[in-house]
Amino acid sequence: MFAIELARGLYTTWREMFNKPVTIQYPDQRRPVYRRFKGRHSLHRYDNGLEKCIGCSLCAAACPADAIFVESAENTNAARFSPGERYASTYEINMLRCIYCGYCEDACPTEAIVLGDNYELSFTDRHDAIYTKEMLLEALPEGGSLTPQEVKPGVYTRSVPEMKDPVD
Amino acid sequence: MTKLVTLTIDGMQVSVPEGTLVVDAAKKIGIEIPVFCYHPKMEPVGMCRMCLVEIGRPVIDRSTGQPVLEDDGSPKIQFSPNLETACTTPVGAGMVVLGATEKARSGREDIIEFLLTSHPLDCPICDKGGECPLQNLTIKYGSGQSRYLYDEKKHFVKHVSLGELIFLDRERCIQCGRCVRFQSEIVDDPVIGFFHRGRALEIVTYSNPGFDSYFSGNTTDICPVGALTTADFRFGARPWELNKAASICNHCPVGCNLTMNVRREAASGGDWVVKRVMPRQNESVNEIWVCDKGRFGYHFAASSSNDQTSFKRLSQPLVRKNAGSDHPGELVPASWDEALSVVSERFAEAGDGLLALAGGRLANEDLFNLKQLTTTLGGEAVLYTHMAGGELTTQLGIQPGSDIGTMGQGDAILVVACDLMEEAPIWWLRVKQAAERGSQLIILNSRSTKLDQAAAFVLRYPFGAETSAVLAMLNALSEKRLRLPEAVQVLERDPTLQAAAEVFSGANNALIMYGSDCIGLTESQALAQACANLLDATGHVGRPNNGLLGVWPRANDQGAWELGFQTQTKLEDALGAAAALYIVAADPAGDDPTYLGQSGFGGKAFVVVQDLYLTQTARLADVVLPAQSWIERDGSFTSGERRAQRFYPVIPPRTAPVSRAESPSTNKAPLLIAGDEVMESPLPDFAITAMITLRIDSEARITASSAARVFNQMAETVPAFSDQTYLELAQVHEQWPIVGRDDLYYGGTSYENTGGLGMQLALNTSDTPSTTRLAGTTVEFIRMPKLGQIAFPIARLYDRGKTLMPSQLLHERIGEPYIVLNVNDAEMLRIQDGDVVHMTVANREPDSPDRVTTGQTVVVQARLDQELPERVVLVPRSFGIPIDKPTPVEIRRTE
Amino acid sequence: MSKYPAGENNSYILLRQRAIPDLDNLDIYRQHGGFTVLEKAITSMKPDEVIEVVKGSGLRGRGGAGFPTGLKWSFIDKDNWPHYVVANADESEPGTFKDREIMEGNPYQFLEGIAICAYAIQSSAAYIYLRGEFWQISANLDRHIEALGVAGLLGDNLFGSDYSLHIYTHLGAGAYICGEETALLESMGGKLGQPRLRPPFPPSFGLFGKPTVVNNVETLTNVPPIVERGAEWYRTMGTEKSSGPKIFSLSGRVSRPGNYELPLGTTFRELIYEHGGGIPNGRSIKAIMAAGASSALIVANDEALDTPMDYESVPALGAQLGSASVIVIDDSISIPWLINKTTHFFKHESCGKCTPCREGTYWMMHLTDRIANANATQEDVALLHAVASQIRGKCLCALGEFSIEPVLSGIERFKADFDTAVSETNNN
Repeated sequence: MFAIELARGLYTTWREMFNKPVTIQYPDQRRPVYRRFKGRHSLHRYDNGLEKCIGCSLCAAACPADAIFVESAENTNAARFSPGERYASTYEINMLRCIYCGYCEDACPTEAIVLGDNYELSFTDRHDAIYTKEMLLEALPEGGSLTPQEVKPGVYTRSVPEMKDPVD
Repeated sequence: MTKLVTLTIDGMQVSVPEGTLVVDAAKKIGIEIPVFCYHPKMEPVGMCRMCLVEIGRPVIDRSTGQPVLEDDGSPKIQFSPNLETACTTPVGAGMVVLGATEKARSGREDIIEFLLTSHPLDCPICDKGGECPLQNLTIKYGSGQSRYLYDEKKHFVKHVSLGELIFLDRERCIQCGRCVRFQSEIVDDPVIGFFHRGRALEIVTYSNPGFDSYFSGNTTDICPVGALTTADFRFGARPWELNKAASICNHCPVGCNLTMNVRREAASGGDWVVKRVMPRQNESVNEIWVCDKGRFGYHFAASSSNDQTSFKRLSQPLVRKNAGSDHPGELVPASWDEALSVVSERFAEAGDGLLALAGGRLANEDLFNLKQLTTTLGGEAVLYTHMAGGELTTQLGIQPGSDIGTMGQGDAILVVACDLMEEAPIWWLRVKQAAERGSQLIILNSRSTKLDQAAAFVLRYPFGAETSAVLAMLNALSEKRLRLPEAVQVLERDPTLQAAAEVFSGANNALIMYGSDCIGLTESQALAQACANLLDATGHVGRPNNGLLGVWPRANDQGAWELGFQTQTKLEDALGAAAALYIVAADPAGDDPTYLGQSGFGGKAFVVVQDLYLTQTARLADVVLPAQSWIERDGSFTSGERRAQRFYPVIPPRTAPVSRAESPSTNKAPLLIAGDEVMESPLPDFAITAMITLRIDSEARITASSAARVFNQMAETVPAFSDQTYLELAQVHEQWPIVGRDDLYYGGTSYENTGGLGMQLALNTSDTPSTTRLAGTTVEFIRMPKLGQIAFPIARLYDRGKTLMPSQLLHERIGEPYIVLNVNDAEMLRIQDGDVVHMTVANREPDSPDRVTTGQTVVVQARLDQELPERVVLVPRSFGIPIDKPTPVEIRRTE
Repeated sequence: MSKYPAGENNSYILLRQRAIPDLDNLDIYRQHGGFTVLEKAITSMKPDEVIEVVKGSGLRGRGGAGFPTGLKWSFIDKDNWPHYVVANADESEPGTFKDREIMEGNPYQFLEGIAICAYAIQSSAAYIYLRGEFWQISANLDRHIEALGVAGLLGDNLFGSDYSLHIYTHLGAGAYICGEETALLESMGGKLGQPRLRPPFPPSFGLFGKPTVVNNVETLTNVPPIVERGAEWYRTMGTEKSSGPKIFSLSGRVSRPGNYELPLGTTFRELIYEHGGGIPNGRSIKAIMAAGASSALIVANDEALDTPMDYESVPALGAQLGSASVIVIDDSISIPWLINKTTHFFKHESCGKCTPCREGTYWMMHLTDRIANANATQEDVALLHAVASQIRGKCLCALGEFSIEPVLSGIERFKADFDTAVSETNNN
């Protein structure tokens, strides 16, 4: 009797030996993330290169972990960072405090701060975890210019663009 | 006894004085009726229509005059078919007010919808976000959806400069009119107004420079949206990111209660920075207002040792080394231990020859310890000022229970030799409002000032004749008349003077406010005496709202008087004769080069300077001690109304620059290394003085440990402070109108007072006030010279002093040094308006009692004035022109 | 019901210049009894007696509100001096042009009326506030006033008594809202022309804070005949509650637009068809606006046409008589187009003081613009109705309240026109 149970169990082991392994060999193989995965943040730009972030601090206010620090300053047409009057002169996220909840992305009125796909974040020093604006700003889109830009007056007057409700 | 009226609001009964508005009655019992255009300190206009409620009144039978009753015996209430505005309706007996019904609620929703139709989508970039009544009331009463098309919104110019201090965003304006009404009703200076009509209604400014009023910042507090914002705080921070601390303004003797908002700033490497200054409510001092100097002039106290400008703060003690007979040596950084050793050693040697010279921006505790030092050691404690007479205010001055805000019908206020608007704007406002409530305002001045428009009596005396003018009033009331100089005899015969004197004498309560307009130290002493005599003769002493009030040049001069500081008319001689000089918060060498004397500053004395910056005097000192500014510590000030008020630390004390090591992190964020250097930082003035004293006499009754302990010692020693403790000064009680908390829409964004309302000092009744010292003919009187001019110093709120120049924003308003000349004199000297001229302080005659001046020359702009008499030149104080009393001058055109 | 014109022998009482040429010449005016009434009042009547006569006549304010004039004069605060009379010549209601004809052709009767009113309330300074566009009329009035001064009929110690009176003209600057009495008083005081809170009303707190009577030009022009011939005589014209003659300003789609002096109580039919010559071009009548642009649209059916034009009967049609500026609308006019015109007017004229009028008229204008230009849906029409209803009952003064009348009545009573406008949108 005991042997029958033993045989049953061993049969399971025998069977499984010939099944395909489910292990993903990270870092050689990387599984793609789900569509709404919340990873490393980035500050987006418009197509012309202007930053979307207008320094409103709503992300900082929404953040449950108080991970975001924002200081604002005035745009001029000679040195324009974002459309409208206001831009973020300082923008820091403490990635160790951040819980990757995405509330900042929900709060942002211009869809500037977006949580992306990158989850491969590690630091050897706590100070390195404070990501500055330079680190968070996304790369320049094609055809865009670096900020600050010199622009004609009267063109970029609207801080919050006309937007549709977000679709998935 | 005002009649009480009982009414019912949302089912709750309330009894309020007759004449109260429904919206105020509701607030008293905690029921919210939202408003935008209504403000409890202004007349209601019923413009915004947000306070619409249903109001029902008891029906009265016309024939019998009796109320009609329902079947159950309750009075029949008839409701108007339409909603009514609660802010314009006074309460009525038996009234029923419904604010929670569907009709009222939908009325509010409709008004919010209307206001939001053209209101821009600015919340993310608007400074008001987070403390915005429109935001708060929209969340409470608005609908979640908008039915208005974005493209049909009305557009205006945004970011309009109403002068360089205030920005206007016309799109955000909801045309409530609070700003316009504040300027015209409360300040009586309508420099802003409405323009166009209908949807195109917009705010414009009529003055040049724009919004030219010392109270302009207050409109940003009462504006219910982000239409009016200050340039100082533009994009500074969000309100919820700021910490707050209670403080008192350090600029003038009003002692406005402030709340300072701070935040740690990345730009300055993580320092705590003062982001803005807001008023804190104290209905007995500044109500909910603060003048623009207090609001925008805080930068000097928040400056750091990292500043690259000339306002770099001292961070460490400095000791002069390598001084020899042929060269002055240099000041090198030293440790506190070393500096204090040197100082205490030399002070102990000096003994009686110590002269402590203190400026009036110091706190009570600092001044008390200085006095204790001179008491322990011997020597003099001198107040550095150009206005005397303070000991009279401690005897015949304002006593507990006094409040200009309670003065009205039947009271009188005499303002003499004072330009209140320039010297203490909030007092200007309070005195003007007292006059509007029925007090008789009497102005005695040599020239016109902005207070004239509110006065019942405006009397002019010739320049230099201020004391005689007051004695002329006394003469008008006495049988025995003093003989007065010829120049005032015209004034003496003026029937207006007689009438004014009688009004003053017969008033229930009377105050005399005297300033330093066109007078100096000796003149103000005589003037104060004359005022004291007048008060004594008319019996206006010894009760609240009666007495002598000095409009001092600095915030805590009153404290110095209470603590026994004296003035020194021959200060230059005293400085030269002393063996050791301890100069705290004063810069005589910087103010007037004549203090340098013939053998350099202080002659052979050992000079110690304790200040915030390396001033001119500090550069000549033997030891320089770095002090903390008032916002880096706590303490108390005594206002000119003799109210002791506490201030609290706003930012942590500035420390000396500390070592920063390279960080191994890729980010290169600096590592702060704590070490002994951190201890070598500025200390509070009282602590430095105490440490010096204790090194000389370890048994001395003086303490360095905390301001509270110093205050306790002060309360034990000085009778005026005898009932007071820090706990007492921190007491608050509910004030009206309610500001702060949830109801920003009601009173504005001034802060609720949780820091303390302060306490007025007891009068010094132990010494009998001297009222007999003045006889008419011995009164000093300036005779106009045959040739040349006499310069008279005047106050300007915005000056070039070291406490205001660090505020860059005000530089345009401050302007360059100037003098004001009579038109005919200018013509004779071939000077036109705006010309640059040389003005030289003339030498006096050899037998004049005054010192011989060194003939200082300054280069200034000349302005002409039609009203100024010939030979008179007006010179603003603290503009770098070394004239602090009437002085002969020579003016010539610059070729 | 007496026939047109109202007086004996079919004589004019107000527009007397139509019977007597050159009545704007002082000598002519005096030849026809001018200023004898003023003399009678000053020399033989007490001020209170004058007020009683006017009260008894039932004269009601002709500017639109219809408030009993004598009653208004009696409210004047006798404990606060001085008193003022202000004649409201800010005739800005679209479709109203009666006052200008009086001031152009019969100015002296108007001035005499002011003088009698001033005497009745014991005022020694009277003002005429004219709309800014009437600068020519104002200049003429100044000449007339000067002529009166020369003739000793205005000035100090009139007719040997100790009563003195000076009259001054004052020009506005193009704002309809300054026809509202408290906005007018603000404008005269040099301030922004925005209405004040009422209470207090002008008879207690008026010009410069002093008791003031503000009356319409036509109202004051009625005063000399009343004082001359008595209250009873005046009551023989018009109806029981709306006595006296009225100048009806007829305009719109009629053959003979113009001013018609008729007794109150005349029917719409008589005015439009008998006097106005009916609708031209073979069209038929569709709607009537009885009070200029501030009126609800009256559906022009038989019941309406047979309604007498007085302050009591017109409200039964869901409208007000107002200043009796009758605008006739025929079936060639689209109602959306019409209310687009009125909303543009009110948006332009809104003073901006109160939120519902300032924002609401602006919003309504945008909506009517889209509806009238075939760019709107049924939801927009419903929204327009909702917005107009939202404004009702919340405004500080009557401008806002009346701005919604054409809109609400148009949508409710002429639905077909709106359906057409919407369907045109759908077709686009």
